[in-house]
Amino acid sequence: MKFSFNWLQSFFNKKLPNPERLAEVLTLHSFEVEGIERLGKDFILDIDVLPNRTDCYSHFGIAREISAILGFKLKEEKWQLKEDKNLKIENFASIKVISGCKRYSVRLIFDVKVGESPDWVKERLESCGIKPINNVVDIANYVMLELGQPLHAFDFEKIEKRKIIVRFAKKGEKILTLDDEEYNLGKEILVIADSKKPIAIAGIKGGKETGISEKTKIILLESANFDPVAIRRGSIKLDLKTDASMRFSHGLDPNLTEIAANRAAYLISKICGGKVAKGILDYYPEKVLPKKIKLEIEKVESLLGIKIPKEKILKILKNLGFKINQKLIVEVPTFRRDVLIQEDLIEEIGRIYGYDRIENKFPVSALVPPKKNPEIFWENFVKDVLVSLGFTEVYNYSFLSKEDIENFGFEEEAIEIENPASAFYQFLRPSLIPGLIKDVQKNQNEFKEIKIFEIGKIFKNKKEKKALAGLITGERFFELKGIIDTLLKRMGISNFYFDFHEPSPEESKISIWQIKKSAEIKIDGEEVGFLGEISRKILEKYKIKDKIVAFDIDFEKLANLATEEHEYEPFSIYPAVVRDISVLVPKDVLVEDVMNVIEETAGKLIRDIDLFDIYEELEEDRKSLAFHIIFQLKDRAILPKEVENAFQKIVENLEKKPDWEVRKK
Amino acid sequence: MKKINLGIFEKRVKKKIKKAKNLKELDEIFKEVFGKNGEIKRISKIIPKLPKSKRKVFGEKFGRVKESLMEEFEKRAKELKEKAEREAEEKEWIDITIPPKKVPIGHYHPITIVRRKIEEIFQSMGFEVVEGPEIEDEWHNFDALNIPPDHPARDVLSLGKTFYLKNGGLMRSHTSSVQIRYMEKNLPPLKIIVPGRVFRLDAIDASHEIDFWQLEGLMVGKDISVANFKAIIEEFVKRFFGKEVKIRLRPSYFPFTEPSFEVDISCIFCKGEGCSICKNSGWVESGGAGMVHPQVFKNCKLDPKEWQGFAFGFGMNRLAMLKYKIPDIRLFNSGDLRFLNQF
Repeated sequence: MKFSFNWLQSFFNKKLPNPERLAEVLTLHSFEVEGIERLGKDFILDIDVLPNRTDCYSHFGIAREISAILGFKLKEEKWQLKEDKNLKIENFASIKVISGCKRYSVRLIFDVKVGESPDWVKERLESCGIKPINNVVDIANYVMLELGQPLHAFDFEKIEKRKIIVRFAKKGEKILTLDDEEYNLGKEILVIADSKKPIAIAGIKGGKETGISEKTKIILLESANFDPVAIRRGSIKLDLKTDASMRFSHGLDPNLTEIAANRAAYLISKICGGKVAKGILDYYPEKVLPKKIKLEIEKVESLLGIKIPKEKILKILKNLGFKINQKLIVEVPTFRRDVLIQEDLIEEIGRIYGYDRIENKFPVSALVPPKKNPEIFWENFVKDVLVSLGFTEVYNYSFLSKEDIENFGFEEEAIEIENPASAFYQFLRPSLIPGLIKDVQKNQNEFKEIKIFEIGKIFKNKKEKKALAGLITGERFFELKGIIDTLLKRMGISNFYFDFHEPSPEESKISIWQIKKSAEIKIDGEEVGFLGEISRKILEKYKIKDKIVAFDIDFEKLANLATEEHEYEPFSIYPAVVRDISVLVPKDVLVEDVMNVIEETAGKLIRDIDLFDIYEELEEDRKSLAFHIIFQLKDRAILPKEVENAFQKIVENLEKKPDWEVRKK
Repeated sequence: MKKINLGIFEKRVKKKIKKAKNLKELDEIFKEVFGKNGEIKRISKIIPKLPKSKRKVFGEKFGRVKESLMEEFEKRAKELKEKAEREAEEKEWIDITIPPKKVPIGHYHPITIVRRKIEEIFQSMGFEVVEGPEIEDEWHNFDALNIPPDHPARDVLSLGKTFYLKNGGLMRSHTSSVQIRYMEKNLPPLKIIVPGRVFRLDAIDASHEIDFWQLEGLMVGKDISVANFKAIIEEFVKRFFGKEVKIRLRPSYFPFTEPSFEVDISCIFCKGEGCSICKNSGWVESGGAGMVHPQVFKNCKLDPKEWQGFAFGFGMNRLAMLKYKIPDIRLFNSGDLRFLNQF
């Protein structure tokens, strides 16, 4: 909000500090000054007045802050409104408030000469960014900038039956505003109406018909206190924000209407001539009285963490307009609508005294070690393992577009946003995979090989879950399988295995994974994730040039199964004997089945079986598997005879299977 | 018979050894002296022919000379070998200006790096790290934080800034909701930080995101004060940015704190002298904070007469942007490896 330095100066006899210094003082004690601009002989301060401080949406309010901070006295006011005893207001006009208004005050001014404003009025308005229109309208705006109370002037003779009604608009009512815009009003829009139709959008903008023109002779001056919620909602509904609506939206002091009406009437009669009718029409059913709050000095000290002398505390509050009695009961002026409880008073004391004068003090508290959060621990652990294996961590948007949702077949489970930022962000992601694939799309021209992962929330069927997913480009299923194997083992999980996926017909996975090149990751029989090649359909849709293998894991399940417990297992100090075996089996035989035969035959003598070659001849229907079999015992050296016997037994058992053949060298 | 002077013999051989330029020459000299038909052999042959009286003395002297010459050979051989190695090494070289071979390594997202640093600092001061749901209800995101319906702040936050879900619920617009969730379940004294994603409806540009990270903090006890807050938060920024960073508090307004402040940190780029980052003010806005509003305690069924404390919220993307001079907030969610591979 813009404030004129010269105008602020006019409230003081004493010279204010220069604009830069004043800005700094205000920033530290009241409101941030976002900029200072030179304008002729004046400086314009752009002050970010806090939304709960509508008393400072005015030059007088800011001057009161300055007075409290610097201890400068405000000048006494020296104006006196003269009324015409012969013109009694109640003989001419009447008001009726139906809803949406706490107070409605009206003054009438007769025989006004509408014309241009004097330069000093125009200058002050312009310095605050308001365009001068004519002397009456300008004075209404001037008083708003001075005291913070929006005012509206009507051409009294254009008001049907000279009756003002405050009510919500009826369905179908319309208004043409001062700036020639037509608005369709509705039940939520508060209006000022005469006996026939709306003549102004209450608290937001006046109507054209009753606006002040050069022919206007009699002015009805409205100084009202409208319901902030009604004005705020109306302003949003009509998409119309004005200086007045901004002030009303945040709530004003109802006791201000009368002072402002008098001040404006005084200025109008002085500048535009005219006679002010005697009296004020004032709808004010529930007078707002000052609040009383008990102040405890100990609480001030305890909350701020500093001892401020009592006299200093009292002085700060008095300079801000508070009254305090002997028992430290503080009377809050009604313009301070933000001060409701003791803590609010403590804030006043703290900020005016200066937060910079509060010395840093470390809290004294019990030495309770912070609780460990296992989910965060495992999240960090997984990141460490994956980064050490060459993965780069990404954070993708939690949102997906409708197109993404359709491409991945997530229509059933995805949660839709009522008010999305744009069509790109219309749904919450039910999986991390789409984001990762889009990352490949973005990076594939710059990077040949991409290895990325993400840990983050996914959202499905009303619920959120933490997921872990990653991918590598290229046909590298077994590499990724090895990565998952390493990751799970490092997490202390040993009872996991990879299983063929048996898809159910309605599963959406079908569109993501190439099912015959995918595996379920299972721990103790429970599926915790999926690993496999991304389907051709998806790759085509996202124009991915390379193949992608990805994994998608339920992180919460994983973190629950992970353990830091780990036991050292003594290794054998006796020599190992390695024998190689090569087996020819039909192509559809699983490697696991072959290994099981070896294991079952001589498991007790074997430390490890290591597949080191698979060879498939194109034309043949068999494949050749080559293993290193490592014989070793823990308690003694294995005898050559034992190895020989075991090996023979293995060969025998393998060859018992139809079409299996051990290659003899 | 020629008379043999062992002293002269020794001197002559030693001179030859010294003159040997390489191992090959030395080897030849060695053969001349110690070889099958070498001088030593020849001299030893004459010993039996000497008179008995001289034989012993000569023999002993001959023994010493042999030993001394042998040592000399070994010494010289070592020298020449070292010299040869040195010369060989001098000839071998590599062009160390060849660009380094790329070692494939992974990278942490900068938010993770910042988050870990934050967690480490606060955990060392006894704060627990807590997380909360990203889908929230109106109570935890607004009402309990003293932002009831019809409150101006509620309209500002909810109508224009919060994502609502079609089947009910909303995306949390701040991590402050976790303050409430934690206080509903735990009794003070308490010290927590909450790093997490938050969501705001906005037009995305270089400094506005719809999906970003916040750091919430909360400390509640019998007498936790503004002075305590200043000490904790200054310690945090000093450890996070470096020793010389200072903080200042400016009055602010949040419905859930009273008093409320903005926390500014002295500009880390110009050290407070004024630059484009701090808009020449010397200070950079980094977060909001304040003393927990009594109504918030009441909403969590805690007695505000018994407890007081501070709460704060910092933008983690902003902390990362300041720390690493990242000019555009959109980079964080971009998935762009040219950006991520730098961390």
